[in-house]
Amino acid sequence: MTTMQVNMIVNGRSTTVVTEPSRTLLEVLREDLRLTGVKDACGGEGECGACTVLLNGLPVNSCLVMIGQMEGCEIETIEGLSKGDQPDPVQKAFIEEGAVQCGYCTPGAVMASKALLDKNPDPDDEEIRAALAGNLCRCTGYSKMISAVHRAAEELKNGN
Amino acid sequence: MQHDVDFYRPNTTVELAEVLQKTAGRIVAGCTDVLPGMRRGKASMDPLVDISQVQELRFIREENGRVQIGALTTHADLVGSQLLNGAAPGLVEAAATVGCPQTRNRGTLGGNLANASPAADSAPPLLVLDAGIQLVRGSTRRSVPLKDFFRGPGQTVLASGEYIEQVFFDRPSGTWGMSFFKLGKRSGMAISVVSAAALLALGPEGRIQTVRMALGSVAATPVRSRNAEEFLTGTAPSPESFRKAGQAALQDISPIDDIRASAEYRRHSAGIAVQRVLEEAWAQAARRKI
Amino acid sequence: METNLKIIGRREPRKESWSKVSGSAQYTADIVQPNTRFGVVVRSPHHHARILGIDTSSAVSSSGSVIVLTAKDVPGARTFGSLLQDQPVLAAEEVRHMGEPVALVIAETLESARKAAQEVRVSYEPLEAVFDPVEALKPDAPLVHADGNLLANYEVSSGDLKAGFAEAEVCMEENFSVQRISPGYLEPENSLARVNPDGSITVWVSSQMPFVDRQIIASVLGVPPEKVQVKGAVIGGAFGGKEDASMAVLTALAAWSIHGTVRIVNTRRESFVAHPKRHPAKFNIKVGAKRDGTLTALQIGVHMDTGAYASLGPAVGQLLTEVAQGPYHIPNVRVDTKVVYTHSPYSGAMRGFGSPQAHFALESCLDMLADRLGMDPLELRRKNLLQPGNALNTQVVMDESVLSLAQCLERAYAAREKLKQIQPGPGRRSGIGMALAMQTVGLGAKVPDNSTHRLEWLPDGKVLIHLGASDLGQGLATISEQIVAESLGLPFSAVVTAHLDTSTAPDGGVTCASRMTYLVGNALLDCSKLLKKNLIEQAAKDLRLPSEELQYESGEVILSDGRHFKAGEFASRAAEAGNALQAEATASFPYPEETTPQHLPIGMPHVKFVFASHVVRVEVDADFGTVEVKDVVAIHDVGRVINRAAVEGQIEGGIVMGMGYALYEDMPLKDGKRWVDSFTEYLLPTAQDVPGHVEIQLLENPDPGGPYGAKGIAEIALVPTAPAIANAVYDALKVRVRDLPVTPEKVILSRA
Repeated sequence: MTTMQVNMIVNGRSTTVVTEPSRTLLEVLREDLRLTGVKDACGGEGECGACTVLLNGLPVNSCLVMIGQMEGCEIETIEGLSKGDQPDPVQKAFIEEGAVQCGYCTPGAVMASKALLDKNPDPDDEEIRAALAGNLCRCTGYSKMISAVHRAAEELKNGN
Repeated sequence: MQHDVDFYRPNTTVELAEVLQKTAGRIVAGCTDVLPGMRRGKASMDPLVDISQVQELRFIREENGRVQIGALTTHADLVGSQLLNGAAPGLVEAAATVGCPQTRNRGTLGGNLANASPAADSAPPLLVLDAGIQLVRGSTRRSVPLKDFFRGPGQTVLASGEYIEQVFFDRPSGTWGMSFFKLGKRSGMAISVVSAAALLALGPEGRIQTVRMALGSVAATPVRSRNAEEFLTGTAPSPESFRKAGQAALQDISPIDDIRASAEYRRHSAGIAVQRVLEEAWAQAARRKI
Repeated sequence: METNLKIIGRREPRKESWSKVSGSAQYTADIVQPNTRFGVVVRSPHHHARILGIDTSSAVSSSGSVIVLTAKDVPGARTFGSLLQDQPVLAAEEVRHMGEPVALVIAETLESARKAAQEVRVSYEPLEAVFDPVEALKPDAPLVHADGNLLANYEVSSGDLKAGFAEAEVCMEENFSVQRISPGYLEPENSLARVNPDGSITVWVSSQMPFVDRQIIASVLGVPPEKVQVKGAVIGGAFGGKEDASMAVLTALAAWSIHGTVRIVNTRRESFVAHPKRHPAKFNIKVGAKRDGTLTALQIGVHMDTGAYASLGPAVGQLLTEVAQGPYHIPNVRVDTKVVYTHSPYSGAMRGFGSPQAHFALESCLDMLADRLGMDPLELRRKNLLQPGNALNTQVVMDESVLSLAQCLERAYAAREKLKQIQPGPGRRSGIGMALAMQTVGLGAKVPDNSTHRLEWLPDGKVLIHLGASDLGQGLATISEQIVAESLGLPFSAVVTAHLDTSTAPDGGVTCASRMTYLVGNALLDCSKLLKKNLIEQAAKDLRLPSEELQYESGEVILSDGRHFKAGEFASRAAEAGNALQAEATASFPYPEETTPQHLPIGMPHVKFVFASHVVRVEVDADFGTVEVKDVVAIHDVGRVINRAAVEGQIEGGIVMGMGYALYEDMPLKDGKRWVDSFTEYLLPTAQDVPGHVEIQLLENPDPGGPYGAKGIAEIALVPTAPAIANAVYDALKVRVRDLPVTPEKVILSRA
């Protein structure tokens, strides 16, 4: 069994794992690093976005990333989003808009939304839908997620 | 999925050549097709050669009118490229429809072509750009017209130990327009049922000087439509001629029934898709003229 | 209607939201226990086959400490099921659907369990299979179960059908079909089980029915239920699909056999083929009407494909039969529903429970009839709408609450007018369609329909709800907290809900049937009353005063001389004395004998209804047949809104689920060989597919029996959507697709 040492930065912290390089980032995050915010909902096909993390600042499906590829990379998961007790505006907006029902898709959707606002602080509906197109939700119908992103954008604009 | 596999991670093309020389490895980068394939048992666990760090292969540049796109360029890179927005808008349109943001940030152009799905979104636009693909094996480089690159579903002319370095095409000139159209079963994360790309260049009297038409998901590989092209070349563009071109294109396709659509529906839709991309390309050319 | 409510009706953010947006919420697969092993299920690759033998030798030697269980290793009952115990824990002699569990491999790691599972050699003799419910009833059809393929047959008639058709001036006969649907909750089924040192077993499972799971686990292990503790974790969606004990049973069996801890997690593929689906069905509808639109006769024949095992199929068949006539007064009706076994993945409870199927057929048919009569489809409905005093086909007589239905219809007229003003995009055609719906609340007559919960006053002054039922993510805990807070005059933050644990919680019943708000709310209101009383008694004891001199107000006990004490003080003293300050109450669904017809099978009829109408505007590309849903107006009779965001969330989610039903989702057999079993091929609506505008109108006509007048919303939210969309497509293109989903291909090929 070949293993490899991978040094990466996870939520701002230097992290090293020694494991089979073809294991996915999703598996390693959940099982080795106990960061269980990422979920396996579609069987690792990249069809649902519940495993979304930011890789070097860009949203990706962690189920489609091999851990061996992560040397030197920066990974941000949902757990790294809030600073101490302070929720990220996107998290706050999701709560306040009622965009969270069962919550299984929520970490992925929050990360995808954050990535959007990082790049585009004033998105319109079309842009929000496109940014969330890779995050399946079966509970909410997406309406309140879209309004949550608008709300977060407002908050960020007002410097909150 | 088993993990008992050797994993190589070259940082440069020199290292890559060394690795490929000593092992018949499977090249991986974005893994958006490879990993699901492995899980379905469709891809064997060859040694894995991860080229995602070979930055030399990630570029979009233009030299003397020749546009070159490195194999590691992601779909997101394509979408964000000013250069391509000007030189190949249809390719940008296509890249924007691939999967979703998460897959576009990882999936590469090289991977999309090497995977050789008949539904590969990047293929029709590149075919109408008359693109070539540069392949490297050890110290040997060869370029192959993209239309000769695909051999069948999932099959290309890539030899063992050979990798895609770049795709290239000449920037269209004159009064030209280019468009891409994809028909999916839903708006988000859609695999194409039928796709089409057209490049049109008008002559001095507004007649069609050059026309290239390509279709995806309607044959064993993405295809150029000679019949549509021959029908239109030299003619005056019009909605009616585009409609007829759409019918002519049906001679160049051989769609199948699959879980997404029947051959009959694909046949019906291909003709209309051709019409639509021609209209859009013509409109673009007209705007360029002004 | 009470207007002085402080918390009811508001958008209180759910307390669990923070844990969900921060990734710390513990779903069952996130719960960590020491020394956990992994189970992988070996499943049948055949639709129907005899098992000739199972050779586990290669698997067992594949790596250290691999154990393989088969049917003979089940210590107790070898089959289980909610209604009929026809479903094997592990198949013994025969497999009846692709994906059926045949063996269970337990190993130290997931990877070694998977490897070992591939080494289990099962030899099968493939047998002929049948996948169509009509075919399955033919005399030469392969048998799914020895007693025959007709699992249940419900025939309900009223009036004189023959006379009804005789007096009709127009008759129509149409056939419709609906497809197999996967609930598609994002959290695949999974369970974790741990055998405890004292010989009891603790099972965590993502489930709608923890107390039923407990019974079934006990029965399968051959132990008394007291030895089984089921604990709920956060649930990632259920929609009916998690009213099934198979995961809990397999995981418990695995843990029991090694006397340790085992986790089993279904992959998405397993979830598709091996957990309950929404019943596909075929409808034949004959309707008779006068030229002025008065319906004189309705005859509906239904074949439901219940798949390989009964699950809740019969109950779904019953509910479908009840609502098949729609919210209309039709004097002569006959509904004949056949629930048929096939070798398909089995169907069971799935949001709507027969109603989405029935409404698609009937609401499509009525629009077709309107067209035939040259009538406005809304007028046709108005002409036949249920009024107070009308009897349904089940003989249930509608009371004043049915006036909400008329309101749903009236507002639909206005909604339609508004949507008519919207211009379609370039190259697109607009179409507007509408459908009405009625949904039942509760389990049905003669089925025990109770829900017990308990409140506990904590020393810190908070009130803890020992909720005896699962919150599926729809917000049950939140509305429970709101109801308790309102009735006790406490701030919302002062009421919290315990995680469900069958060893400490009372039995709240199964979270299903749109019944939880109603029952849980009523139980909690009774608990609150009792808790106040107990508090006063405790305070009287502690203060050595007669209880008549004490009053309760907003979390405090107030004396006649004005002194006041916080409730927490008395709770604290009570707890110290070993007698926590609690109150438990049970709410039961009322099926008064005087008004509930008694002639139908157990589970019928239902006597409480909610109503809705959806008006939908679609834009269609006539060349490709592609349909986009652009605007939806959803008008819902809810009785009373408890949590506004939650009600809206249910409706918004329901509309999109209805859209998926109408346009994208399908689980067919590919080339006769494999079921569609991944999200690549089973298309859920994405954020880019959903309507740009959803307007929700909530009608609050309080139900006198509901908590603060609330009724239920969970299922009806999706029922009118699909027929409204199909009707809208017809409006746009004059193309009628009778078989869901309405794919672009069907639209185009129907036109040809």
